[in-house]
Amino acid sequence: MSAVPILAFRQIEKSFGAIRALRGVNFELQAGEVHALLGENGAGKSTLIKVATGAHAPDAGTIEVAGEVVRRIDPLSARKHGIACIYQQPALFPDLTVEENLALRLEPSSSWRRVDWSTRRQRAETLLSRIGAHFGPDREVRTLSMPEQQLVEIACALGAGARIVIMDEPTASLTRQEQERLFSLVRALRAQSVGVIYISHRLEEIFALADRVTVLRDGASIGTHVVTSMSESRLIELMVGREVAHLYPPTEFSGGAIRLDVRELVCKAGGLKKVSFTVKAGEILGLSGLVGAGRTELARTLFGITPADAGEIRVDGQLLSVRNPRVAVAAGIAYVPEDRRRHGVVLEMPVSHNLTLAARRRYFPWGILRPRVEREAAGHFVESLGIKTAGIGAPAGSLSGGNQQKVSLGRWLATEPKILILDEPTQGVDVGAKGELHRIIRRLAAKGLAVILISSDLPEILGMSDRIGVMREGRLVTVLPGGSSAAAVMAAALGKTEEEKSA
Amino acid sequence: MKTPDAAGIAPKQMPTPHRASAFWKSVLFRHETLLLAVLIVEWWFFYTYGTTTNRRGVVVGFGTWDRQFDILRHSCEIGLLALALTPIILTGGIDLSVGSLLGLCAVVFGHLSQAAGLSLPVATLLTLGLGALAGGLNAGLITGFRLPPLIVTLGTYSLFRGLAEALTRGAVTYTDFSPSFLFFGQERWLGLPVQAWMFLGVAVMIWFLVHSTTAGRSFRVIGFSPEGARFAGIASNRQLGLVYVLAGIIAALAAMIYTARLGQAKADAGTGYELFAITAVVLGGTSIFGGKGSVTGTLLGVAAIAVLKNGLATLPSVIRMNAAEEMAGLLTGCLLIFVLTATTLSGSVLARVRRWTLRARQTGASLP
Repeated sequence: MSAVPILAFRQIEKSFGAIRALRGVNFELQAGEVHALLGENGAGKSTLIKVATGAHAPDAGTIEVAGEVVRRIDPLSARKHGIACIYQQPALFPDLTVEENLALRLEPSSSWRRVDWSTRRQRAETLLSRIGAHFGPDREVRTLSMPEQQLVEIACALGAGARIVIMDEPTASLTRQEQERLFSLVRALRAQSVGVIYISHRLEEIFALADRVTVLRDGASIGTHVVTSMSESRLIELMVGREVAHLYPPTEFSGGAIRLDVRELVCKAGGLKKVSFTVKAGEILGLSGLVGAGRTELARTLFGITPADAGEIRVDGQLLSVRNPRVAVAAGIAYVPEDRRRHGVVLEMPVSHNLTLAARRRYFPWGILRPRVEREAAGHFVESLGIKTAGIGAPAGSLSGGNQQKVSLGRWLATEPKILILDEPTQGVDVGAKGELHRIIRRLAAKGLAVILISSDLPEILGMSDRIGVMREGRLVTVLPGGSSAAAVMAAALGKTEEEKSA
Repeated sequence: MKTPDAAGIAPKQMPTPHRASAFWKSVLFRHETLLLAVLIVEWWFFYTYGTTTNRRGVVVGFGTWDRQFDILRHSCEIGLLALALTPIILTGGIDLSVGSLLGLCAVVFGHLSQAAGLSLPVATLLTLGLGALAGGLNAGLITGFRLPPLIVTLGTYSLFRGLAEALTRGAVTYTDFSPSFLFFGQERWLGLPVQAWMFLGVAVMIWFLVHSTTAGRSFRVIGFSPEGARFAGIASNRQLGLVYVLAGIIAALAAMIYTARLGQAKADAGTGYELFAITAVVLGGTSIFGGKGSVTGTLLGVAAIAVLKNGLATLPSVIRMNAAEEMAGLLTGCLLIFVLTATTLSGSVLARVRRWTLRARQTGASLP
C-alpha cells in the first residue's frame, strides 16, 4: 500500500482549554482498506473523528485529502471531499420516511425548486438495493430497528458518493447476525475502493475486519500496524502502556466491616445482569469498564433512580428495597452523578442552596429554612473542600468545573453517608483540582466511608482503588486486587480474562 | 471550555469594598422595584386625572379611602388565584383550570347552602374539599401519567366549567345568601374589607411556603431542573401534588369570596380569571419556565393590574367612551410587555456594564 492515501492527518493537534485532546496525531487511510482506530476511553478517537468530519478545527497540523492539502474541513466541505460518518446512534429524522431522509441528505438545499418525485424514488430504491435492505423507501424511520437505521445511514454515505466512510462503534447495539450483515457490507465498500475508518472496542471485530490498525493513547498516535502481524495482547499493551503521570495519595485501608453487600442485582432497564459484590468500610472499590459497560447504570440502581428488578442490596447487613433515591439517602447511600451540570448541581441556584439540598432534612428538621444554619453549613463545606467561589450566594453555574464537582460532592457529604458512589468525579476537571479531589476521596475513605469510584480514567482507577471491579456488558466480570496492572484491567474490560493474574 | 475558567476567575476580582454599591444596584435593578415604580406612577396618574362620584352624588377624586377599599375588594379573587399559581409556575407548571374551578365551586357552594340547606360551615368545608379534590385530579394526571400541566389543566379548564354549567343547566343563579355570609364579601372588619384579611392570610402563608420552607426550595429546583431534583432525592410528585391541591383549595376560597361579594353564584363565575392571574404572576417577575420568582412580585403584579383596571374607570374620557374594560385589557397587555422587556433590557445592560468594568479593571491590574 504505497499509493497516495485518500485521507491523511499529519501532526494534528487540538486542545480544549487546558486539556490537550490531540497531541500530534498521524494517520493515513488508503483507498480500499478498512483501517481500525483503537484506544481507551478519552484517548482522542472521537476528537479525531470530529476533526475529520469538520465538527472541530485542528489547532495545528495538516489534513490531506487524496494527496491535496486541505486547510481545514468544515461539515460542508467534508461532504464535498466524500467523507461520511456513521455514528453509533443514527441521526435520522424519525418521523420522515427512508426516502425523505435520503432526499434531505442528498438533494441540494434550495427553497425554490420543484421536487422531482420520480428521481427521488428511483435513487432511494437503487441505494436500498445496493445495501441489500429488505425494507421499502416508504417506511417511516421510527419503525426501523437500530441496525436498519444504520443501513439507511450507509445508504446516505453511498448516495453522496463517499470515498471515506467513518464508522464509530457501529456494532455496539447489534446482534451477531446483524453484525455479520454489516461486516459483509463493509467488505463490499472496501471492494469498491472506499476507505473505511472503523472504530470499535471489540478486538475480535478488528481482527475479523480490519486491514490495518492505528492505536491512539493520550491523544497521540502510538503506531500503525498491519492487523495480521498483531496479537490481542500486543494491542492491549499498546493501548495502556504508559507510566502513571500523576501521584496518587497512598491507601490507608487495612480491612473493615462489610458496609455494602450486593447480591445478584438485576435491572432490565439499565441492562444489569446479576451483579454481586461487597464494599467494606474505609475501602475504595474502583469500577472500571468501557463506556456503556453498565457502571453508571449500577450506580443508578443502587441509588434508586432505576430501581432493581431482582437481587438484594444490604447496607450494614440490613436488607433494603431501594425503590427511589429517598430510600437510598435514608439508608446512607450517596451518589455524586456523572453529569454534574444536569444532575450534580442546580446551576441557577446559589452554592449554599446547592450544598444543603440533599441534607435538607438534617439541617431544616421541620421543613423550615434556617438561614444561619445554611450559611454555616455552606461555609463549612466551602472551606473544608476548598471550593473557590465569589461567595456562598454565587450561582453554582458561575463556578469552574472542578469547583462545581466539589459542590456536588459537598451536597452529598452533608447527608453524612455511609456509602459514597462517585461517578467520574474528575472528568473534565483540571489537573490541580483533580489531585485535590483525589486527596479528599482518600480522606473520606480513611474516615470509614465505603467508596465506589467509577472512572474511565485507568490510571485513576489503578492509583486510587483498594480493589478494582471490572464491568462488561452489564456484568461485573471480575474483581481484581489493588495494584493490578493496567493490562489486566483492560483485558478484563475487553473480554479477555485468561492472562496476567500474577498480581 | 474557556467559559468555566473565566467564570472561575471573574468572581475573585469582585472587590469587597464595593459591596454596598452592589447591594444598591441589586435593589435598584430588581424586578419588584420596577413594579413598585410602575404602581406609584399609575396611582399618581389616576390621583391627578381621575374623578368619580360618591354615594351622595358629589364628585370626588381617585384618592379616597372608599376607592382604595374598592380596589382591594375587587382584586381579592384574582389575587388569590395569582397567589395559588405562584408556586405552580415556580415548579415550571401552569394551572389554567383555576378560573373554571372558581365557577364550579361557586355553584356547588350555592347549591349546598341554598338548595341543600346545609349550614354555612359545612357548606364551606365541603366546597374547600371539592377544591382540593379538583386540584388532586390535576396533580394526579400530571404526575401519574406524566402529562404536561398545560394540557391537563386545559382539559380540566373545560371540564370544571362544563360541570358548573351542567349543574345549573346554565340557568340557575343562587341568590338570597344570609347576611352572615355576605359579611365576608361586603363588610369591613377592623377597618379593612373582610376578604382583604383572608387574602392577607393566604398571602402570608404562600409567602412563607415559597420563601421559608424546604418545600418552597424544592419547587424552584423542580422548576430549574426536574432531572436534578430527582438526583437530589426530592419527591417531585409529592411536591407537585402539594402545589396543585393547594391551588384547588385557594380557588374554592376565592369562589366563596366571589359569591359573598356579589351575593350570587352563577356558572360563569370567574370566567377568564386564570389569564388575569397568570398575567399578574408573570408581571410580578416569576419566570414562566419555573425556578425564578417571588410572592412579593406576584402581589405587586396583582396591585398594578387592579389599580390600572379600577383607575381607568375614573377617567372622564374613558367613562364618556364607555370603554373601561377594553382600555384595561389593552393597557394591561402593554404594561406586561413593557415591564418584562425593561427587566431583561436592564439585565443585559447591567451585564454589559459589569463586563466593561471588569475589563477595565483587568487591563488596569495588568499594568504596573
